[in-house]
Amino acid sequence: MQFLTPFFFALSALAIPIILLYMLKLRRVQTPVSSTMLWQKILREKQANTPWQKLKRNLLLFLQLLILAALVFALARPALQTKVIASGAIVVLLDASASMNATDIVPTRFEAARKSAQELIDALSGDAAMTLILAGVAPQTLAAAETDKSILKSALNNAQPSHGAADWRAALALAAGSSRNQNKPVFIILSDGGLPTENLPALPGDVRYLPIGLSQENLAISAFALRPLNGSARLFVEVRNYGNKDRAATLSLYLAEELLLARQMNLPAHGSASLSLDNLPGGASIYRAQISSADSSAPLDFLPLDDTAFAVYQPAAARRILLVSQGNLFLEQLLAALPGAQSFRALPNSSGALQLPAQPFDLYIFDGDLPAQLPKGNLLLINPTSNELFEVGAEYKDIVEMNVRDHALTRFVDWRNVHLLQARAAQLPAWMFPLIEADSHSLVFAGEQNGRRVAALAFDLRQSDLPLQIAYPILFSNLINYLSPPASFDASRALRPGESLSLFLPAEVERAVIASPSNMLYTLAPGQTIFTQTDELGYYAANLISGESSRVEYFAVNLFDADESNIAPRADLQIGTQTIAPALAAQQGLLEIWKWLAAAALILLMIEWQVFHRKKNFTAHST
Amino acid sequence: MLFDESTLRKINQLTLVASRVRAGAIKGERRSARRGSSVEFADYRNYVPGDDLRRLDWNIYARLDKPFTKLLEEEEDLAVYIVLDASASMNWREQELNKFDYARKLAAGLGAIALSSGDLLSMAVLQNGRVAAEFGASRGSAALPRFFQFLESLAPQGKTDLNAALRQYAIHPRRAGLLILISDLLVEDGFQLGLRSLLGRGNEVALVHLLAPDEVEPNLAGDLQLLDIETNAAQEVSIDGGLRNLYSARFREWIQSTQDDCRKQGIKYIHAVTDKSWDKVLLLEMRKAGLVK
Repeated sequence: MQFLTPFFFALSALAIPIILLYMLKLRRVQTPVSSTMLWQKILREKQANTPWQKLKRNLLLFLQLLILAALVFALARPALQTKVIASGAIVVLLDASASMNATDIVPTRFEAARKSAQELIDALSGDAAMTLILAGVAPQTLAAAETDKSILKSALNNAQPSHGAADWRAALALAAGSSRNQNKPVFIILSDGGLPTENLPALPGDVRYLPIGLSQENLAISAFALRPLNGSARLFVEVRNYGNKDRAATLSLYLAEELLLARQMNLPAHGSASLSLDNLPGGASIYRAQISSADSSAPLDFLPLDDTAFAVYQPAAARRILLVSQGNLFLEQLLAALPGAQSFRALPNSSGALQLPAQPFDLYIFDGDLPAQLPKGNLLLINPTSNELFEVGAEYKDIVEMNVRDHALTRFVDWRNVHLLQARAAQLPAWMFPLIEADSHSLVFAGEQNGRRVAALAFDLRQSDLPLQIAYPILFSNLINYLSPPASFDASRALRPGESLSLFLPAEVERAVIASPSNMLYTLAPGQTIFTQTDELGYYAANLISGESSRVEYFAVNLFDADESNIAPRADLQIGTQTIAPALAAQQGLLEIWKWLAAAALILLMIEWQVFHRKKNFTAHST
Repeated sequence: MLFDESTLRKINQLTLVASRVRAGAIKGERRSARRGSSVEFADYRNYVPGDDLRRLDWNIYARLDKPFTKLLEEEEDLAVYIVLDASASMNWREQELNKFDYARKLAAGLGAIALSSGDLLSMAVLQNGRVAAEFGASRGSAALPRFFQFLESLAPQGKTDLNAALRQYAIHPRRAGLLILISDLLVEDGFQLGLRSLLGRGNEVALVHLLAPDEVEPNLAGDLQLLDIETNAAQEVSIDGGLRNLYSARFREWIQSTQDDCRKQGIKYIHAVTDKSWDKVLLLEMRKAGLVK
């Protein structure tokens, strides 16, 4: 036991005036009487009956001294020494990832972590500061270098777990940043250990890990998707068992909340089972997959978030593509094979002038020749000359080294076997970015300006062996899907919680209203192309409103995260080069007990009041 | 002046009564138990030879022609002793309520009655366990101013030891008579022994037990140190309702036992509280007790 503010003990000198006052009060009023004879007789009789009379008379003084003692002790802030995880400046990282919703600890892992954090706050010594960081999809600082325990606690109580994977890189960066001004901070990670195993920044201080979680039993729908196939839809669903035991589960598939199929699945430990269904209806629809316990009475697993998944099937609307070319077999074949695309071809007339059709197209592909005035729509320019968008310089040859930039548009594009005879040197405006470069020149580049997307290849396809390579259909599919998205967004792609959805709204759409699974409404203004409020799991409805008509497109947000579904608590963490084992309560902490003393003083005060009043009422009543 | 003319006039009509009257040394205005030669007519009886012819009622004889002798009451004087407790405890409460003043008025009243009836009046003042001052014996209304002067010269002081003082008073050889003790009886050792020795001398004793109202019903509360004005003894006491109730009960018991003691020994007991006017006590209470008529 120690006292944090021992100088308050000086207040115990107040006992002297209390005793003095009491003595003054008890200095009896001298009252002359004619004779004390009768009084003496009575008192002799009464004292014989009640020997504790004197003690009772001093009860008030005794209570008052006790109250003073309790208050003085409370002010002196007595503290018991306890074993705690850390003392001094503390940065607490509270894991708020989806796996923290697991119920293997009742009520949830997150509540257990919250309780541990509360204990850390309680054990915080007088002037030590604590920083609370919630490591969720978007990490946030709940309290920065705060010494006020009530603020820390209220910040902690407001924290909620997310439904997605935690961004640990950002969380650790936040932690490192917040501790910059602190002396020897201690970082405490309250987590089930679902941190990425590599590429985490090291923390500037002592790191302790407080593992939370008991069980690893969890089944999850790890994949659920629909693809168009010959005018109908093909469904694929995969269920994975992350636990140590072989399990059986019932997989139920719903189409528009009508049960489509239910099937028993046997899942070996750490194994998976999948299911494909063909010839599903071709119309736009929402599918739901649900796994439940084969034995309906028992709960399926400890993490319910990944037991349900949604998939949206949105058949691609026909995209109208205009190819302007002298004749290019490679391009024509490619466009014919592209699903959901309706291609048209235009030829320059004999005089060489281009006459474009009046009706708009979703995408214009210009193979070599450009019109005097570029159309307002999206453009794919192949071997262009200088135009209003960018300048094209002279041809160059001897292209040896080519570099593919890492970008969504170059995904799966294998450029190693592609050879070019010659290309043109293009001057990229600021809004365009290179995708494939040769030496200092851009070969393939793209960009978006004022809602118009433009991509260009600075070489003639016939001057390369690209059309013979695997990279050709992949690159062109990527580019055409970028330039003319099949829908406003790619519904077939399941989003993860917190992941932003990029929308490509056709020009006629005035605004989009997106309803979340819990019916929160978000309105996107025209020109806004990113939707970020995807924290909830389930399907979202995007209402695209244009004038008086509107149409609805859906997209789904699913967990689909092996790191989160694998709820097995990790034995240790790897941060930077450090391996962090679970921490033990090893340091001396202080548990302050002044509250109990203050409460005792209050109770004593109430007793004293009662005693005083009883005494007073007794006298007043008889007067 | 202890009291006014009208009170004195009322008082003068009263006489003190002693049921076991003692023969007086001289003829007084008091009826003797014996028929005698005073002028107060009592009865007639047939004349028998040898009767005093002066007592023959000649008028009856003339009318009835039969001799009748007038029987006259024997009248005698009474020795009246007023014994006043003048200890410090009697000097309690102010003005009208003061016990000693009250006692003096009662004594003056009783003395006036005695003197006006031709009784032999003596007075003794008891202080510190002995007789501190004496008056008399005097007879006749002419002694009244002197008696009043004597009363006014008295001052209450000292302690009380009624037993010792009364015994001392009883030792002196005196005519047996009516002895009236005025006291608050607030004495540690009691008074019974002293009264008994007076009774043993053949006196008839009356006791006027005089108390102040706050002795009957004390108006005290809280943590007090009670100072005895007589003994200067201090008594610490925390008075609450319970204690006051206990006081009242014990006080009643005390009065009751005193009364019982007196009745057993043939002592007339008059209980007087100073909030009642003194002449009422004299005219009503004492008459009720059979001390005056």
